[in-house]
Amino acid sequence: MRWSDRPWAMPLYALAAALALGELAVVWLMLHPNVPSDYRAYYIDRTTTCLPQPVTAAYTLGTIVDFRSGGPDTRELRPCGWEGPAGDGMHALGESARLAFAVPAQDLTLTLEMTGVTLPGPRQQTVIVSANGQPLGRAVVTPGKTGRFTFPLPASAIANGRADIILDLPDAVTTSPGQSNVRKRSIKLVKASLTPATASSTP
Amino acid sequence: MAIFENRGTDIYRQAAATPAPVEAGLTLPAAGVFDIPRSPALSYILLLPLLFFFTGLLLRFLAFRTAMPAADITGYFDELCRWDCGWYVKMAETGYDRFPVPGRISAGNWAFFPSFPMLVGGARALLPFPTIVTASLVSLITTYMAVLAAWPLLNRDRAAYALYAAFMLSGPVSFYFTSFFTEPLYVLMTTLVFAQLARSRYLSASVAAAILSATRIVGVFASLAIGLQAFLDYRRNAGTWRGAIPALLGNPQLVLALFIAPLGLFAYMAFLHFWVGDALAFSHVQRAWARTVANPLTYLWQGFGNHPDEGWAPTSSQILATVALAGLILTGVLAWRRQWPAALFCLLAIIIPLAAGLASMLRFMSALTPLTITLMTILARRRWLFWLSLAAILLGAYTTTLAWFGGNVALV
Repeated sequence: MRWSDRPWAMPLYALAAALALGELAVVWLMLHPNVPSDYRAYYIDRTTTCLPQPVTAAYTLGTIVDFRSGGPDTRELRPCGWEGPAGDGMHALGESARLAFAVPAQDLTLTLEMTGVTLPGPRQQTVIVSANGQPLGRAVVTPGKTGRFTFPLPASAIANGRADIILDLPDAVTTSPGQSNVRKRSIKLVKASLTPATASSTP
Repeated sequence: MAIFENRGTDIYRQAAATPAPVEAGLTLPAAGVFDIPRSPALSYILLLPLLFFFTGLLLRFLAFRTAMPAADITGYFDELCRWDCGWYVKMAETGYDRFPVPGRISAGNWAFFPSFPMLVGGARALLPFPTIVTASLVSLITTYMAVLAAWPLLNRDRAAYALYAAFMLSGPVSFYFTSFFTEPLYVLMTTLVFAQLARSRYLSASVAAAILSATRIVGVFASLAIGLQAFLDYRRNAGTWRGAIPALLGNPQLVLALFIAPLGLFAYMAFLHFWVGDALAFSHVQRAWARTVANPLTYLWQGFGNHPDEGWAPTSSQILATVALAGLILTGVLAWRRQWPAALFCLLAIIIPLAAGLASMLRFMSALTPLTITLMTILARRRWLFWLSLAAILLGAYTTTLAWFGGNVALV
C-alpha cells in the first residue's frame, strides 16, 4: 500500500516518533539521577542504612539524655538509625545510627549507656564510634546487659559547632529471614551525654 | 427479569457472528467504551450495581457500628481509611514530598502513583467536603463505572455480572474500592483496556493503559497485553511468523498505541526527576519499607510455612500466600481459556509485587479485574453456587470490614 493511500498514517508515525523520543529522554534522566550524596548512598547505592534527617541537635553541655520511654523528646538529637523508645531504650535500626549534639568546639567526653538486644545471633554486639570522620573507639555490648562506655571526643571532631556521632553496628542481626538490612537490630541506647574532658570520669 | 435469563445464549456463537476477532470471556466484542446496550438489559446493568452500591454502604456501616459503637457516625469515612489510605489523603492535600521528606522519615510518598490522588485532588477543589469524604465519593463512582464497563467482559452473563457487582461494591474487600486507595481507578482502567482490546481497538486501549500506568506501576504491563493482542490478531488472520514484524510496524495506530500505553509511567518518572532528582524514586524509596527483591516462590513458601503459634487459624502470611497462589491458579485458567493478553498482564502483575514480598497481596489480587471476572464467571455457572457465593460475598462485606477495623494485617 502506498503512502498516498494512507494520508493519515504519516501524522500517526510522526506522533509515535515524538513520543518515542520523549520516552527515550526520560530513560536518559533515569540513568542520570541528580540527587544529594545522602540520597544516593541510602536509596540508590544502598551503602548505608542510615539516611540523615535535618535536626537542630539542640543540647546543653553536660546533660545526661535519657532515651528510655518516659524520657524527654530526643528527636532533635537523632538524625537517623533509631526506632522507639521501646521501654528500656531506643532501638538502633540498621547497620549504623547517628546522634548529633550542638556543642562548643572543645575536648569532650562522650558517654553512652547501651544494652545488647537478645536476638539469635552473635554473642556480643560491637559498636564502632566515630565523630565527623574521626574514630573515637569501640564498645562491646553484651545481649541483655547494660554497659556504660566513654569515649574521648577531641575538639577537632566537632565541625560547625556540632558533634555528629556515628555508631557503626557490624554485628547487627536480621529479625526474620530475607529481611532488609535497614531493619537490623543490635543495641538499645539507654542514656547519652557529652561532658567537658576535664570533668569526665575515668573510662 | 431473571438473573439466569440469558443462560440459553451461547456466547461463543454470539461472538462468532460479529466481525471482530473474538475469544471467550475477556475478548468478547464490545459496542463502545462502556458497551451499554439499548435493550431491556439496560435497567438491569445500571440498577443492579446501584443496589449493591447501597447494600455495601449499609453493611460496611453496620460493621463500623459494631466495631466502634461509641464512635460518632461522622467518623465512618475516617475510620475506614487505614494503612495506605492515609498516605493518599495527604497526597491529595499536599502533593508529593520533596527531599528531605518533611516528616523527617526515609519513606517519601514517591512510592504512590499519581493519577488517582490527582483525580481526588481535583474533586476536592470543587467539593466542600473533607478529603476522605470526597475521596470515598470518587471511589464509589469510579467503582460503579468499573462494574458497568465489565459487562461485556462478563460474557453478558447476568449471574456473573451480579456476583461481580456484589463483589466490587458490597463484597468482603469492598472497602478497598470505596475508601481511598488507587484500586478503583486501577480496576476501571484495566477493564477499559481489555474491553477495548476485545475489539482490537489498540489506540483507545492504549489511552486507558496510559492512565493505568500512572495509577500503579504494574499498570505499565498493559502495554505488553496490547502488543500481544495485536500479534494474536495478526496471526488469526493467517499472518506468517516471518511477516509479523513488518505487518505490525505497518499499522500506524498500533505503533502509536504502543508508545502511548506507557506514557503515564514515563510522565511520572519525568516529574520525579524534576521534583527530587531521581526518576526511579518510586522504586528506590521501597528501601524505606525494608522491601527486598527475592524469588517470588521463596516468599510463597515462607508464607505457607509461617504457622500460627497456637490454634488453627491461619497466619496473615498464610492467608496472603493462599491468595497469591489463587491468583496464579486463576491466571492459569485465563491461559487455559486462551485469553493470553489478560493472562500475561495478570502473571506480571502478580509476580512483580510478589518478588518484593507478600505484603498487600490480597488487595492486589482483588483489583486484578481479569482474575475476579474469571472467578465470577466460574461461580455463576451453577445456580446453587451462585446463591451460595452471593450470600458469602454479602456476609463477607460485614465480617471482613470488621476485621479491617480490627487492624488485621492480612488486609493491608
